[in-house]
Amino acid sequence: MDKAGILVVDDDREIAGAIEKLLESEGFQVQKAYDGKEALEALVSGGIQLILMDVMMPRLDGLSATLKIRESRNIPIIILSAKSEDSDKILGLSMGADDYVTKPFNPDELVARVKSQLRRYMLLGDMGNGSKANQIAIGGLLLDLDAKQLTVDGEPVHLTAKEFQILEFLMKHAGMVFSAEKIYERVWKEKPYSVENTVMVHIRRIREKIEINPKEPNYLKVVWGIGYKIEKI
Amino acid sequence: MDTRLRRFSTNGMTKFLAFAIVVLALAAVVVQIQYAEYINGNVESLIVDNYIDSEEFYYGQVQNSLFRVSRAIEEGEELEGTSDCIYFAADKEKTFGNTIWSEREYYEQYDQTFYYLEDGEWQAGKNTNPLTYNPGIDDTEAMAYVAFTDEYMAEKQVEWEANRAVLKPLALRIAASVSLALLLIAYLIWATGRKPDDRELHMAKIDSVYSDVLLALFLPAIGAWVVSIGEFAFLRNRLFDGLGMNEVFSMALAGGATVVAVTVCGVLLLSLVRKLKAGKLLKHSLIFVAFAASYDFFKSLFDGRRFKGNTHTQSLFKRQWAFIVASAAMVFLTFVFLFSGVVPLMALPPILEILIIYWFIKGNNKTFVEINKGFDDSLGERMKAERMKIALVTNVSHDLKTPLTSMVSYVDLLSKEDDLPDSARDYVQILSEKTNRLKNIVSDLFDLAKSTSGDISMEMEKIDIKKLIEQTIGDMSDEIEKSGLKMKTKLPENQVMIFSDGKKLYRVFQNIIDNALKYSLEGSRVFVELEEADGFAVATVKNTASYEIDYTADEMLQRFSRGDKSRSTEGSGLGLSIAESFTKVCGGNMKVIVDGDLFKVSVSFQMDE
Repeated sequence: MDKAGILVVDDDREIAGAIEKLLESEGFQVQKAYDGKEALEALVSGGIQLILMDVMMPRLDGLSATLKIRESRNIPIIILSAKSEDSDKILGLSMGADDYVTKPFNPDELVARVKSQLRRYMLLGDMGNGSKANQIAIGGLLLDLDAKQLTVDGEPVHLTAKEFQILEFLMKHAGMVFSAEKIYERVWKEKPYSVENTVMVHIRRIREKIEINPKEPNYLKVVWGIGYKIEKI
Repeated sequence: MDTRLRRFSTNGMTKFLAFAIVVLALAAVVVQIQYAEYINGNVESLIVDNYIDSEEFYYGQVQNSLFRVSRAIEEGEELEGTSDCIYFAADKEKTFGNTIWSEREYYEQYDQTFYYLEDGEWQAGKNTNPLTYNPGIDDTEAMAYVAFTDEYMAEKQVEWEANRAVLKPLALRIAASVSLALLLIAYLIWATGRKPDDRELHMAKIDSVYSDVLLALFLPAIGAWVVSIGEFAFLRNRLFDGLGMNEVFSMALAGGATVVAVTVCGVLLLSLVRKLKAGKLLKHSLIFVAFAASYDFFKSLFDGRRFKGNTHTQSLFKRQWAFIVASAAMVFLTFVFLFSGVVPLMALPPILEILIIYWFIKGNNKTFVEINKGFDDSLGERMKAERMKIALVTNVSHDLKTPLTSMVSYVDLLSKEDDLPDSARDYVQILSEKTNRLKNIVSDLFDLAKSTSGDISMEMEKIDIKKLIEQTIGDMSDEIEKSGLKMKTKLPENQVMIFSDGKKLYRVFQNIIDNALKYSLEGSRVFVELEEADGFAVATVKNTASYEIDYTADEMLQRFSRGDKSRSTEGSGLGLSIAESFTKVCGGNMKVIVDGDLFKVSVSFQMDE
């Protein structure tokens, strides 16, 4: 995983330079490209395990470049864009990007996301796509029901019993929304009475443990005014 | 050649001369007619060659003589007065005559001027001009002969020819003067208003007088002339024919009066001609102008022009009044005509009423069209402005975020340098904080701009606002704990369903509670309540301000206004503005109430049941 090659694509040379310095200090090998066309060319020479892609660029924009790359490679692509609308994010992800980070980004968060994507990429390479019996895998989350163990991008994460049960319940029904009462009934096995706050606090704790940025969760999401769910990835 | 003739003919001097000649010619005509009158010239002599064929002779002598003779027989005595004829008359009792002759042959020798009475009827002689009138008598026995001697007729014929010799040149001169005047008048009518230099029609000062006034001025001019001619023409010595001092003086006066009258009439006539040429003879008359003005005034009462200064609605209101009053007046007039028996006039008010209705409706339509247009225009302008705002915000947002990204990244790199002196590390820390705050402001500004312009994608669904509030408080439990404030909630037992966008509504409550946490008095309580009232779900967040609130609730919502005016704390100052704007796009209503130190924000949504 060390010395992984990362391609930074951004028409703003200062930003590309800053990301280069940032990632190099974390021990990555960085190549730079200043538009989509250069990115495609750089990819040919090989040695690249992840791409950071800006959207608004001359010649070939980031979304088109992503689409092109996806025709032949499943290398992780993180889109870096000043466009922060939900619709922009959805568009970027639907083009085949693995993650979407808005500018201006938090450098630490960017590094964390890069590492997360790289680990997941490597792990997938190790274990293929198959999860063993009594394991639930969603994105970088791997829940081992026998060992009562959760790993995020391969790193073990410690959960309390209730947190584990909540996550297990939600991951078993990924994509479905459950109210706090339902979750409480299933996890606490008691009649729910004014439990919203209790469940919400637990959810928040879990998010802090499994999400890179708990404010913008990738996995565990609050459906405001309705309930909670684990995103089906 | 043509242009030279034109230049000459339209020259001012030419026209003036022509005018003067017309005046003089007409004055000369008057004077010459007067002169002819004074010399007792008989115009008949110009047409009839022989005195014997003239009416002068027939009516002046023949008729007169026959009448006198008839009367003499009837009355039995000769009439007084003179007659130039010779005659003999007799009935059973008596005879009359002014000659010694009583034989018919004597009188018959003047066969061209012989008349005789037979069976009470006058007859003309064989060669005599026939009689047109017969002053006969009842006595059929009476007889008479009347004749004019050849000597007398010859003498008269000489006189007749002498008269013609005097009158003939006079008549020719008058005819020449009249023709000259008419010719020049025709020329002046053609030339007036034209100038040598261009083909335009030039109006004179007098043309600004209304046509009907000009026309009316003819009356005093002609009237004064007629009166003065009447006065002057009779200043004559009737004792003899011919010219004396009196006559010459009177002729001079009459000529002068004519000059004045013709000048005045000529000026008036030419002015009218110019107006006719300009096509405004009728339009520029007092009657027409007055009629048009009053017509226009009444029309303007109903079609709205009278109330131009007013707003559209005021104008419509006033027009309505004018319409009602006028219509009532028309009905009243109809009845007045009906009862006063002037039945034909009854048709007038309905016709006027139709006109008024037409004006009124047409004017109203115009106003409605204008109102619609104004409405559409302002709507279009607003849409355009909003679209421009969105485009601007999107561009500015991108342009702000790009350099900000560099700043954040390099400040981060700088902070990771190992060999920084302590002071520099402090500076970097400050830079880091400030760039982060800038980041938040830009992000909030963008959100606010998008939501106020309405260009924001919504995901509306049925949600439980009670649950949402609980989730929000749970989500913020760390911040609440950190603030040292106590959060008191009072929520209904059951779910409260509304139709809204959960994610945005979360931003609303997050911002409101965040605001309360930031600006509450230390250790005080923050109350979060949810009530159902009249089909509305009303959520209220109350807190006690840590500062004196010295502005109004409205100002509070103004973008960038902040609880503390010093603006030292972090945050963009847009929290409540975003909350209000998001509430609006989510279909709700947000209110801020300030009561002393109590700060209260309430958000209401229609319940979805």
